[in-house]
Amino acid sequence: GKHVTAQKSKTGRLKSPFIRVEDRSRQYRPFYLQLLSFPFLNYCVPKPYSPFEVDKKYPGQKPTQSKERNKINSDKDCGMPAQFPQKDKKKRGYCECCGKKYEDLQTHLESERHRNFAQSTQYKVVDDIISKLAYEFVAYKDDETGKIKRTKCST
Amino acid sequence: TAGVKKDIEKLYEAVPQLVNVFKIKEKIGEGTFSSVYLATAQLQTGYEEKMALKHLIPTSHPLRIAAELQCLTVAGGQDNVMGVKYCFRKNDHVVIVMPYLEHESFLDILSSLSFEEVREYMFNLFKALRRIHHFGIVHRDVKPSNFLYNRQLKRYALVDFGLAQGTPDTKIELLKTAYSEDQQGSCLQTNPIVALGNSVSVTSPKQIAQHSASKAADRRSSSLSKVQMKQGRGEKEDSVHHSVQRSVFGERNFNVYSSTYQENSSTKLIKQSKIIDVSSRKLITKKKIISTKTVSNGAARKAASGCPLNLLCDCYATDRVCSVCLSRRQQVAPRAGTPGFRAPEVLTKCPTQTTAIDMWSAGIIFLSLLSGRYPFFKASDDLTALAQIMTVRGSRETIQAARTFGKSVVCTQVVPTQNLRTLCEKLRGTNSSSKRSQGEGPSRSENNTALSVAADKPCAPETLGKQIQHLQSFQEGDGALEAKAADMKGWDQVPDEAYDLLDKLLDLNPATRITAKEALLHPFFKDIRL
Repeated sequence: GKHVTAQKSKTGRLKSPFIRVEDRSRQYRPFYLQLLSFPFLNYCVPKPYSPFEVDKKYPGQKPTQSKERNKINSDKDCGMPAQFPQKDKKKRGYCECCGKKYEDLQTHLESERHRNFAQSTQYKVVDDIISKLAYEFVAYKDDETGKIKRTKCST
Repeated sequence: TAGVKKDIEKLYEAVPQLVNVFKIKEKIGEGTFSSVYLATAQLQTGYEEKMALKHLIPTSHPLRIAAELQCLTVAGGQDNVMGVKYCFRKNDHVVIVMPYLEHESFLDILSSLSFEEVREYMFNLFKALRRIHHFGIVHRDVKPSNFLYNRQLKRYALVDFGLAQGTPDTKIELLKTAYSEDQQGSCLQTNPIVALGNSVSVTSPKQIAQHSASKAADRRSSSLSKVQMKQGRGEKEDSVHHSVQRSVFGERNFNVYSSTYQENSSTKLIKQSKIIDVSSRKLITKKKIISTKTVSNGAARKAASGCPLNLLCDCYATDRVCSVCLSRRQQVAPRAGTPGFRAPEVLTKCPTQTTAIDMWSAGIIFLSLLSGRYPFFKASDDLTALAQIMTVRGSRETIQAARTFGKSVVCTQVVPTQNLRTLCEKLRGTNSSSKRSQGEGPSRSENNTALSVAADKPCAPETLGKQIQHLQSFQEGDGALEAKAADMKGWDQVPDEAYDLLDKLLDLNPATRITAKEALLHPFFKDIRL
């Protein structure tokens, strides 16, 4: 949120500097951003950091940098679009199957509504695609995987 | 670690078919919508191979899952587009099996890539993009972590179609579904609702006039996907009025006309950026929502819709906003993806977005490669991102281009467009001044650069000194001057074609922005050896 001055007043003149965007149809609500300072290219920021590394008063600052570095690193390893989520177990989100927001993923998945959907024929569209894929795996011998899976149950 | 072990156990439990087939070794990625594991499998060929198992979040709608699979099966497996080996499902748990490509971390190799490697990297990225665009897939999330790169093997793979959308004429049938569902979702939000007993139809004001009630009821009674595909095709003709929009149900647009709304609107701008991915996942809105949520809101909205919708005010293209324009409904446009890689038309909520948004993202990657900066843009919200784009591409130019796709942009700051070569060389620290003077290493030129920009934005001298030290250790390694010259790796003679291509990728106007097909034919790739 840093340099963003939230629009306190509903109406009136925007405080400079700002950006205001509106659809030319004039049918939609304009949206805007009032900034404390307009971004600028800061060539002083050391490589490989963004030249818009604005928040740091002095880009050389160590703590912020290492923090940033971690963030970047965590993003990189995975081929995934999203960031690592918070470690907490309660995962909030939106269930597309049920069309419903949930506070805790696990609780939602166990809800009757979701379980009904999970066991429904809605997944036929997925199965249809799967049925066209060639299965080319050979099962590992039981004892091998057994070792991995059930370490405690070795005979 | 213990947590990962537990996750692996749970995955085996959720999808028991995996048990004897895969040895799951570790978790290699975790995102909002999936976790990815590294596993080995024994193939019928007799070889053991590494696989990537992507476990989708069980809240994913089957249509979305199927669409992602279809992208992989139809477009994937060729031209640097990730393919699929197999897919396992038990109930709501779906695991997509893909060949594993060991890959570099973009940030780790950014500073050590030779110029020739950068050329090859971009060439191979365009090959992948040409392929998916040929199939009418808009990836929406092109960025380094979704373009796997094995430097040694010179192998590449574009991955993750979890946010993909179809063009109006997409060849991926199931993306047509998603495409039209987007429309539907947006209609739910922004357009009046007509309720017809049990069956509810969602229509734009235009459609209300056009469609008879019976027709609307008819649509609902047929199967969901059929209806949507039908609509998806119909959309083509009507795309001017109909924006490709997404539903943002959870994000509260219902009280648009309530007095409390404006209070909320301030925080909204900021919040938006944090829920992008979530909102992007809401494109599939089902009957349930229609009947429970919107109908109740629909009435209120319908009452209000006649009047404030079309009210004009004098704020347009000025520095003002008033209760009239702020009371209008919010425009909803797709914005899934990653902040720093969004094209200007995405940032300004242009409802019709094309494969050109992926080309912009490719341009941002190229900008990172040429400047040695990653991430290049760093913004917490869309308009800050737009402001940063302006500082590179020019405010006047950005405003002009936005006009071509239907957006009025007002910006108090007038910032000039940057010369891309100068920009990249200054940021990379390979100024033309340094490349001619042999004895002077990059650190020295960086020193000059830093001092020269100090006029723009002063840096504290001590800090500057530290930075230079930092740069020296960063860039020089053992510090031998000889080695440094060899270390230039082609960066001392970046051809003009590179910056010409970058300019065409970062074209602010999506209609004229270079396509993947054209990019592969750009002189920059002349004589590429692969």
